[in-house]
Amino acid sequence: MNQAAVTLESHELSKTYFSTEPPTEVLRGIDLSVRAGEFLVVMGTSGSGKSTLLYSISGMDRPTSGSVTLEGRELTSLGDTEMSKVRLTRMGFVFQQPHFLSNLNVRDNILLPALKAAPRHGREAAISRVDALMERFGIAPVRSHGITQVSGGQLQRASICRALAGEPSVLFADEPTGALNSSKTAEVMDAFTEVHRGGTTIVMVTHDPGVAVRGERVIYLRDGAVVAAREIGRWEPDTAHRREDVLLAWLRDLGF
Amino acid sequence: MENEERLYLRYAYNDLVKNKGINAALVVTLVLSAFLMATGSMVLERLAGSISRLSEQGKPPDLLQMHKGEYDPAALTRFAADHESEIDAWLVEEMLGYDSASLSWSRPGTGETGDLAASRIDNLFVTQNTEFDFLVDRTGAVVEPAAGEVYVPVLYQKQYGLTTGDVLTIRTASGPHQLEVRGEVKDAQMGASLSPSSRFLIHPEDFEALGRAGGATPEIIVEYRLAAGGDANAMQTAYEGAGGLPTNGQVVTGPQLRIISMIGDGLVAFALVFVSLVLIAIALLNLRFVIRGTLEDEVHEIGAMKAIGIPDREISRLYLTKYSILAVVGCVVGGLLAIIAANLLTQGIQTNYAQAPVGVWTFLVPLIALAAVYLIVVGICRGVLRGVRRIEVVNALVHGSTLDEKQAARRARQRARWVRRTGLASSSGAGVNRRLALLDLRAEGRAWVLLPVVFGLTAVLITLPANMVSTFEDPRFVTYMGVPERDLRADVQFQEDVDGVKDRLVAAMADDDRLTDVRSYAYVDYTADSEDGPARLRVEVGNRPDDEGIRFSQGGLPRDGQIALSVLNADKYGVGVGDELTIHDGDKPITVQVSGIYQDITSGGQTAKMSGEVTEGAAAYTVFADLAGDLADGGADPGGIADEYDEQFPTAGVKPTQEYVRETMAVLTDSMRGAAWVALVFGLGVVVLITSLFLKLRLARDRSTMGVLSAIGFAAQELVGQVRTKTLLAVAAGTAAGVVFAATAGQSLASAALTAVQLGITDLTFIPNPWLVYVLYPLLLLGAGYFGVAVLTSGVRRADKSEWIRR
Repeated sequence: MNQAAVTLESHELSKTYFSTEPPTEVLRGIDLSVRAGEFLVVMGTSGSGKSTLLYSISGMDRPTSGSVTLEGRELTSLGDTEMSKVRLTRMGFVFQQPHFLSNLNVRDNILLPALKAAPRHGREAAISRVDALMERFGIAPVRSHGITQVSGGQLQRASICRALAGEPSVLFADEPTGALNSSKTAEVMDAFTEVHRGGTTIVMVTHDPGVAVRGERVIYLRDGAVVAAREIGRWEPDTAHRREDVLLAWLRDLGF
Repeated sequence: MENEERLYLRYAYNDLVKNKGINAALVVTLVLSAFLMATGSMVLERLAGSISRLSEQGKPPDLLQMHKGEYDPAALTRFAADHESEIDAWLVEEMLGYDSASLSWSRPGTGETGDLAASRIDNLFVTQNTEFDFLVDRTGAVVEPAAGEVYVPVLYQKQYGLTTGDVLTIRTASGPHQLEVRGEVKDAQMGASLSPSSRFLIHPEDFEALGRAGGATPEIIVEYRLAAGGDANAMQTAYEGAGGLPTNGQVVTGPQLRIISMIGDGLVAFALVFVSLVLIAIALLNLRFVIRGTLEDEVHEIGAMKAIGIPDREISRLYLTKYSILAVVGCVVGGLLAIIAANLLTQGIQTNYAQAPVGVWTFLVPLIALAAVYLIVVGICRGVLRGVRRIEVVNALVHGSTLDEKQAARRARQRARWVRRTGLASSSGAGVNRRLALLDLRAEGRAWVLLPVVFGLTAVLITLPANMVSTFEDPRFVTYMGVPERDLRADVQFQEDVDGVKDRLVAAMADDDRLTDVRSYAYVDYTADSEDGPARLRVEVGNRPDDEGIRFSQGGLPRDGQIALSVLNADKYGVGVGDELTIHDGDKPITVQVSGIYQDITSGGQTAKMSGEVTEGAAAYTVFADLAGDLADGGADPGGIADEYDEQFPTAGVKPTQEYVRETMAVLTDSMRGAAWVALVFGLGVVVLITSLFLKLRLARDRSTMGVLSAIGFAAQELVGQVRTKTLLAVAAGTAAGVVFAATAGQSLASAALTAVQLGITDLTFIPNPWLVYVLYPLLLLGAGYFGVAVLTSGVRRADKSEWIRR
């Protein structure tokens, strides 16, 4: 790990679902540090706890025990309203399914967090920022479309715009390309790469090595614990194949 | 059992277990609907049976004429001879009437004593008849009291707890006359809760002794049993047209007796049926919502079943089995509960009337009612499940949509137009929550419509009976009784010296500084031609001020040469405002023009008014007076003054007009109040249930939206706030619509119902209690809605938000 400041950290993070019989321990004492500006990829087999880890460190779910710190602020002790403010102002999310509000057009969906965060006098600035984001990610032409009128790739890029609308310090992505074909996957991952280059910290869960190669560091989960981690350096288009081979070999060794 | 049947049942069982909350709410709604429908129908069947049974035992007359004063027995014999073929039997029953204050009781065993002064009904002492119109005991046997014994009306037995061995003391002009209570009697003629009088049965020796003792008002009832197929109304017309017969009193036909009994004691049952009909409507809307939701939720499974070749009919049956089971459970449990409730509700009826015989209809009526509930429920389910046919495999499996291509394209176009028109950019900060809630409510209006409809129906359900109660209880209701809004009223009627009593009363009132504007109206009997021939028309004649304050539904006050008729009389004589009517004063024909038509529920709704002055020779008089200015301004109670006059003129029936209204309407008002309470309790229970059920399904459907909003940065409190805003807006809209409907169309419904029972009211204008129906009830409904939403959203804060997205 290089010497950049740690922005997101978990300590002894555990999560147990008590609704099952017997209770299911999904995360077992995970210690994790994410550097500011880092692109961390979380991999693992199905049911290893990848998504649970993502939602636990992002405050969407309450861990059973352990702590999470974002930019030096302890999150697990925050109340729901405070935690929501942190998500609104410091975090962005991209999901496998776009999960847009069907009653709003594409632009309003992207505007939503920006308007929510903006004070009355900051509304115009928020709108300008979102319009610029839509231009940047090629969404502007479908801005007033309904969400059923645009393609999956466009929707996922719109998701990225929405996640960035509040200028977060960390972007969380849960299988963002899981529902896309290969060409749309490349399109969306290019957008992630661009966001990362802009300095945003990204934590992404994926089971696709072709997507994971976009990250800088990959951690591997098994049965709720981090069993391995590997630095793979910054992604460049011309080294993509070589990085993927290295990653696949590493994953094979781990039994992926 | 076929394998297929087992599969359906297993599927239904699994679903019932999986969705316990929703299915339990559905079952409760169905149980309530079935329960009220079965209870209402059982009570009506028992009531009709009880009345018929008592009618068989007591053999009441088909036509009766009450009379006070002299009469010519020979004229009655001639009339009977003239109508021999129509009359099966007839009799003249002599009665001695006592004021309630003249009757007291004591219990020798315990030394307890009391009087019947609080009772407002006439007390008539009679001997047992020999041919018909019998007073019977609890077993239906014709009772023959021994000398010194009395059988009291069931009403008094219930009201004052009079039991065998008690001593009833009658205050006569020659001192007290004591009789031993031997039991109670049921009276087919005067047993109804609405009946203004009741009969005590004594031995002929005691009857003679009381007659000699003085202090009683002698009265007779001329009674006729008609030959099979006889028409009581035609006989009444013939009787009234015959001339020379006793007519100084009420005239009642057999069918009217039965209507009076059914209205007084069956109103709650009718109200239960009405409540159950509204509940069934709610249950059906609810089922439709749940089934459609289920089809949407399980569209993938349905698509898969279709894909492997299971026919649509079989898929529908899979679901229908579950709803059939729910409907059967609802009907069985509702029916069983109804047996208990109907038994409790009919206890009073069986005491008043007779033990209804248990026959095939006793079982068939509630079974038919329950079968109707079951068939309607299953029929609606079958109709909604036809939607399975329209589901296309590809759309179901790929897009998870129940819509076919055309529907999906149309929906997408509509949605696209919608999102282009709406915008979020004008909101910011917390205002975004409100904006999102409103947008969702507008866009998903079809899904949310269940709540306003249910709350609207419930608002009607609880407001209508409350409006009727407040109208019946309002001082202004007096205008529906064909009388002006005056402070005091006296009825000088059915006695020997009518003119003398009236003159002395009017003189005393005129001299009283506390009273002003004393007016007397005389009741003069004419005959007029009705559709069935000449009939008696009793007309109230008086010197009428312009501002008399009677509410005319058409036209206005009668001037010289004019007559105003009650709605039922206008109908009876087939005339409208402006028409001419020929009335006969003896043999002298007088042609009068109808000046107006008003509503009146007194005297069987058959009254008339003319202008003029008749000071003597009338059949009866009504005297009105107002409190003098300073007393009225000071809010003085006319009751005290009325009591003074009542003591001074015991036969004049002086009372505050409002008390007269209360007494006349007491039974109807009490029954309606009971119905209003039933409607309120069940209505509130149902709206809480439906709100909870709706939100449970709605929240399940909105999970992913809530998940994404949570991820974006909306706190659980804000998400709950959005749901509450939407719910309360839907509830408020429905409640407001319901209250408005109840006040407008509901008024017409109530008028139609009152017209149907021939009470004399055809156009009722509600006099609502605004605090109750426009403030308290809407608040209760909003509170019920809020309670439902609070319960259902209480778990939102604790939930792991990612669950909403990941499922």
